[in-house]
Amino acid sequence: MKTDKEKVKSKILILATLSGGYLGADSAGQGNKEYAPNVYIFSVMTAAIFPPEFYIRALEKSVDAIIVMYSGSDCPYKGAAEHTAKMISQAYEMMKERGMDQRRLRLSAICTVCVDPFLEEVAQANELLDEIGPIERPVPAVTEAESVTA
Amino acid sequence: MTNKRLHVDALVVGGGIAGMQTSLDLGDQGYQVALVEKTASIGGNMVQLSKVFPTLDCASCITTPKMSSVHHHDNIKLLTSSEVQKVTPHGDGFIAEVLLKPTYVNNDTCTGCQKCEEACPVDILDEYDYGFNARRAAYIPFPTAIPYTAVIDMDHCIFCGQCIKACPVPDCIDFNMQPEVIEIETSAIVISTGFKVTPYDAKEEYGAGKFRNVIDGLMMERLLAPTGPYGHVLRPSDGKLPDSIAYVQCAGSRDLTLGVPYCSRVCCMYAIKQAMLLAGALPMADITIYYMDIRTFGKQYEQFYQNAKAMGIEFVKAKVARITEVENQDLNVRVELIDENSQVVERHHDLVVLSVGMLPNYDPQAVFSIDIAEDKFVETPYYHNSPAATTRPGIFAAGTAAGPMDIVDTIVTAGSAAADVAAYIQSHNGHKAETAVETQTTVAERSVDHD
Amino acid sequence: MTEPNEENKEKDVKNNSEEPITVHVDELKDAVEKEIADAGGEDIKIGVYVCQCGGNISDVVRTDLVAKELEKFPNVVVSRDFIFMCSDSGQELIKKDIQEKGINRVVVGSCSPFLHETTFRKAVSSGGLNPYLYTHVGIREQDSWVHADHPKEATELAVHLMEAGVAKARLLEPLKPTEIKAKKHALVIGGGIAGLQAALSIAKADLKVTIVEKSHFLGGRVAQWDTVFPTDEDARAVLNRVIEEVLANPNITIHTGTELIAAKGYIGEFNIRLRQQPRGVSEDFDGLDEAIKVCPVEVPDEFNFGLSKRKAIYRPYDGCVPSGAVIDWEHCTKCGECLKVGKKGSINLDETPHEFDITVGAVVVATGFDPYEPFKGEFGYGEIPEVITLPQLERILSKDGPTKGKLEVNGHPVHNIAMIHCVGSRQKEGVHKPQPDGKVNDYCSRVCCTATLSAAKQIHEHFPDTNIFDLYQDIRTYGRGHEDYYINASKNGVTFLRYFAEEIPEVTKSPEGEKNPVMVKVKDHLTWGYEVEVPVDLVVLAVGMMPTPIQDLIGMLKVSQGNDRFLLEVHPKLRPVETAIAGIVLAGTAQGPMTIREASYAGQAAASKVIAMLITGQVELEPFVAKIDPERCEGSGECVKYCPQEEAIRLETFTEDGRTFQRAVVSPANCNGCGVCVSVCPNRAINIQGWTLDQFDAMVEALAMEVSVLEDA
Ligand SMILES: Cc1cc2nc3c(=O)[nH]c(=O)nc-3n(C[C@H](O)[C@H](O)[C@H](O)COP(=O)(O)OP(=O)(O)OC[C@H]3O[C@@H](n4cnc5c(N)ncnc54)[C@H](O)[C@@H]3O)c2cc1C
Ligand SMILES: Cc1cc2nc3c(=O)[nH]c(=O)nc-3n(C[C@H](O)[C@H](O)[C@H](O)COP(=O)(O)OP(=O)(O)OC[C@H]3O[C@@H](n4cnc5c(N)ncnc54)[C@H](O)[C@@H]3O)c2cc1C
Repeated sequence: MKTDKEKVKSKILILATLSGGYLGADSAGQGNKEYAPNVYIFSVMTAAIFPPEFYIRALEKSVDAIIVMYSGSDCPYKGAAEHTAKMISQAYEMMKERGMDQRRLRLSAICTVCVDPFLEEVAQANELLDEIGPIERPVPAVTEAESVTA
Repeated sequence: MTNKRLHVDALVVGGGIAGMQTSLDLGDQGYQVALVEKTASIGGNMVQLSKVFPTLDCASCITTPKMSSVHHHDNIKLLTSSEVQKVTPHGDGFIAEVLLKPTYVNNDTCTGCQKCEEACPVDILDEYDYGFNARRAAYIPFPTAIPYTAVIDMDHCIFCGQCIKACPVPDCIDFNMQPEVIEIETSAIVISTGFKVTPYDAKEEYGAGKFRNVIDGLMMERLLAPTGPYGHVLRPSDGKLPDSIAYVQCAGSRDLTLGVPYCSRVCCMYAIKQAMLLAGALPMADITIYYMDIRTFGKQYEQFYQNAKAMGIEFVKAKVARITEVENQDLNVRVELIDENSQVVERHHDLVVLSVGMLPNYDPQAVFSIDIAEDKFVETPYYHNSPAATTRPGIFAAGTAAGPMDIVDTIVTAGSAAADVAAYIQSHNGHKAETAVETQTTVAERSVDHD
Repeated sequence: MTEPNEENKEKDVKNNSEEPITVHVDELKDAVEKEIADAGGEDIKIGVYVCQCGGNISDVVRTDLVAKELEKFPNVVVSRDFIFMCSDSGQELIKKDIQEKGINRVVVGSCSPFLHETTFRKAVSSGGLNPYLYTHVGIREQDSWVHADHPKEATELAVHLMEAGVAKARLLEPLKPTEIKAKKHALVIGGGIAGLQAALSIAKADLKVTIVEKSHFLGGRVAQWDTVFPTDEDARAVLNRVIEEVLANPNITIHTGTELIAAKGYIGEFNIRLRQQPRGVSEDFDGLDEAIKVCPVEVPDEFNFGLSKRKAIYRPYDGCVPSGAVIDWEHCTKCGECLKVGKKGSINLDETPHEFDITVGAVVVATGFDPYEPFKGEFGYGEIPEVITLPQLERILSKDGPTKGKLEVNGHPVHNIAMIHCVGSRQKEGVHKPQPDGKVNDYCSRVCCTATLSAAKQIHEHFPDTNIFDLYQDIRTYGRGHEDYYINASKNGVTFLRYFAEEIPEVTKSPEGEKNPVMVKVKDHLTWGYEVEVPVDLVVLAVGMMPTPIQDLIGMLKVSQGNDRFLLEVHPKLRPVETAIAGIVLAGTAQGPMTIREASYAGQAAASKVIAMLITGQVELEPFVAKIDPERCEGSGECVKYCPQEEAIRLETFTEDGRTFQRAVVSPANCNGCGVCVSVCPNRAINIQGWTLDQFDAMVEALAMEVSVLEDA
């Protein structure tokens, strides 16, 4: 069913904190700033909850790149920003072991009105995916019916 | 004859953003509030705006949650299509007689299904969209109205009965509905009756009303609103996309000939906002703002102005003397260029927006026995120290009822009025109405002198 | 007066053993557990709602198809699209489905959660469900508004995001907000007009208030002005009306000369440590004039903005409150001369600062502003003595000012004045010299235009022979009664000259022998941009406002600053006086430039919020805090090791069947939900309630599916 132009559509997951990236994305939305529609934004209270395995699993299962958008030094939670960065660098180690391109995972500080940086991140991730392609998964993408029962 | 009586701590008159915020602030403090709104829905002017400066969030998106919280608040009793007719002193407080005007639809049973609206054969110009759009005689005021119920406009109803046939709820539409009067016993009153804009044809030399392509700021808000009439900004005369749009600032403010010497505070910002939105919607159009002084004094407002300049919007310090209609219903704007030694030139535009100012929407002197100031807005004699207090103890003012201001300032004044009401109640009756609003039935011919 | 009154006595540090915070974890657990058990008994039935947002979404995303697609998913029993989900009828739809279709999880796809998540939580709750059995999916800001050019992809994206929402909803559990006791006592930081008004309103609602003022007198900047616009009243009269009411209110305790040195806690219970500088002089000291005479130390008087000098023992101004004198400890040399005059024992040069603690339920930050201080040489300031700031002019015009109200500089009378607007405001990068933080003041200070024209009016009235030249960009006399000053200025013969920010006026010293000591050069855009030279005797710089530097406070309270350095509100429109920290609100010019009236409004509005928070003595907090799964926890202690909060999580020893083991226990009121513990737990035994890892796994999995709605249709 795939058309020519639609190779395999790559997917970018953005985990955006409600105090940072999600508001940045909101601002981009309020400004009607077009960006590629392969970006899936999930809101998170805090990105510090994700252990490195979470990222690996997500990349192995369904998405081709992940951008964690937190509020960096403006993080309302003391210590959480540093911790998130630490978890991500542990994930990098694991990616290296598995031969995954580490550029597929990025941590980025996005403020509530950071429209341009937000768009820049998205554009860069897509450029990267154009270059290195989606992740090849051993199992073909599951169909709706199968996956929901799984 | 019997009258219903509501017992509350505070009566808030006017359900715009000022009245809603005052009610919420008081309700959250545990006071019982009755909110009386003249029209069929709360929301006031704000809910009609497109996007609001300086954050450019969509106005109805940020107003609707407030409207909904008011409606669902345990401590707030909402009375729409209602007006206060008379206020008499009662102890330290007041008794207000409120007229509930018939809407010919039972608010409690109407589901807002719009079947009556679909069935109604009458088409009239919709005031919510400033006549850019039509509505029916049986209609729901606007898509996010609260309460979301139909009303029947008796001035235009032709009594064909189609709506009654279409209505799925038995006895919901009732052409025989009568006005009702209820009494509200309250400790304090807040006036938040808001503003209206300068009639757009007030300045004859600008030709509004005569020339179809001269509109005012509020009309432009509707054209720009996502829920607006055309979904695009089109010229009223021919539906063409405008190429060259002019804003005339202070059209109705700072103008002694109109008896309005004051600055209306919001027009610079709304013109810049609209210009920015227009620049987005019509990237090819030229936009010029003719101004006397740009007054972007609020938090983040100056930066907003500078952004607009950077976007290429043209700001010209000028006095606009006259507007004339030329070919294609385009317009010639005669301006005195102040920055160029007051040289007079004619500039060609195809749409002109008058940045009309603010006038009070209601004169409370007769009913509430409070004074208005020289500018005709509610007098607040304790200017610095108790800015929300009026000339009568127990009555306070919030929002644009007490002078032009934007939404941020309106919300702050609402909080201030709520604090004043709370203090007034504590120092006088000293107690709150403990339970939810109670209704009682009393004899209407009560003895006149209660106190 | 600085002594706390009996009823309101505040704890001294020494005898203050910090009370541990008691939260009834067990009670909380029981209630929720019961609800969970109740909910667990039933099948999961999900209602899905896709909002059209009156075209905002449906013009791009085929909401009808999205709803249809979602219907196919397990557990979804109803799936609809609707014009405005946030409207009353939209909310009714949810309630009806809860009641009639028995749905027990709700997913709404609409605008950003910041707008309507609470709205829908409430709707779910009034339908009879636990409000946390709700998932919000953003498909407007995150989809329709940014993919208008790709309607097909946008629709598929919406399906995916909604699917993820459904996947999350399956794993939702009912939650209960944390309830904490709130101290019916508020702290107001800053005793200017805004702080005083806030304190007064809070006190009138019968809550206790403590005002902490850094300086030794109340009233802030207003005490320094002469006549205030637009009422033309004496500034002190305006101020004293508020101060008198504050002093008379038994609910208010005032500590002057006091600053915060530590703060911790949360809404309902902030533990604050204060340090009060001693005055050094007792209130009944009767030899002040004498003492001032004998004191050998002379420093610039900050009250007169350096236009005069004062001694190290001084009283800020006559009539100040508190009225007593104080020692300037920074400059006092303890020479002991003052000890020799007046009543013995009235002065104690060995007094030391006093530290004490208070516990309050909420905090109002009203720390005010500092006038912009021009750089040396900016418009000749600091180099040409005839160049002063507007605040300095206010002091000169004051009867108790350095010239006792006479209009003179350096002893010379003044006949021609140039007033320059927007000094330190509306600055442009590249044109103006930035502040030490690298930023220029690109904002408008709002008050200076009217304050300048108000001063011009005073000068015109008292010194009618004076000529005034007003150099401006835009005259912003916006407020009620402000425009009159502009109209009058023109009538009174003030000459207006208009300059552009890119071509700021030049101020130079006139050559020796000229009649007027200063020359102002300006390109006047009211006359073709001609360069005009104006010789004057005095230049007044209408300086803007900058927030009082309170970096230490910002650190303690964790409130945020905007780009303009003023304190930042959560939402400039909807919640203009609240900060992102629950329990901390803003009042007055600490937040942005304001007039007295506006600062009063703001103080009272802040009070309204505080009253609502504290009046019942109880605060409800969102339940998004860490929760331990006792089945999975093995007591590794990693969470305790990494937790950045104090007292939020600890290991406790339990015994069961003679076996002793350790398990982690959370104190919900101290946990801020930062989530660090979640990622370090080796057993996935901790989660932030409402945001669990299992939910995220399921959401990510939902993205793996292929969707092709449009072909299906
Ligand atoms: C063209 C334009 C654009 C604007 N854009 C912005 C913007 O982008 N951002 C911004 O911050 N501000 C903007 N404003 C200003 C904003 O509209 C006002 O600040 C705000 O609406 C004031 O709210 P209010 O509650 O005081 O008054 P209103 O909105 O006027 O509400 C008053 C309410 O009281 C009711 N009422 C009147 N009389 C009675 C009575 N006797 N009994 C019962 N009820 C009564 C009315 O029906 C109404 O519902 C704009 C204004 C205009 C004109
Ligand atoms: C030249 C000039 C003329 C003006 N004229 C007028 C006028 O005529 N009419 C008018 O309406 N407005 C006028 N204003 C504006 C007016 O001064 C302000 O609106 C008013 O002072 C604001 O009050 P505030 O309480 O916000 O701040 P402030 O007056 O600055 O008070 C803040 C208080 O907080 C204290 N504080 C600061 N930091 C701390 C800390 N860390 N801990 C404890 N305490 C702290 C300060 O010591 C001070 O007492 C004028 C302003 C200027 C610059």
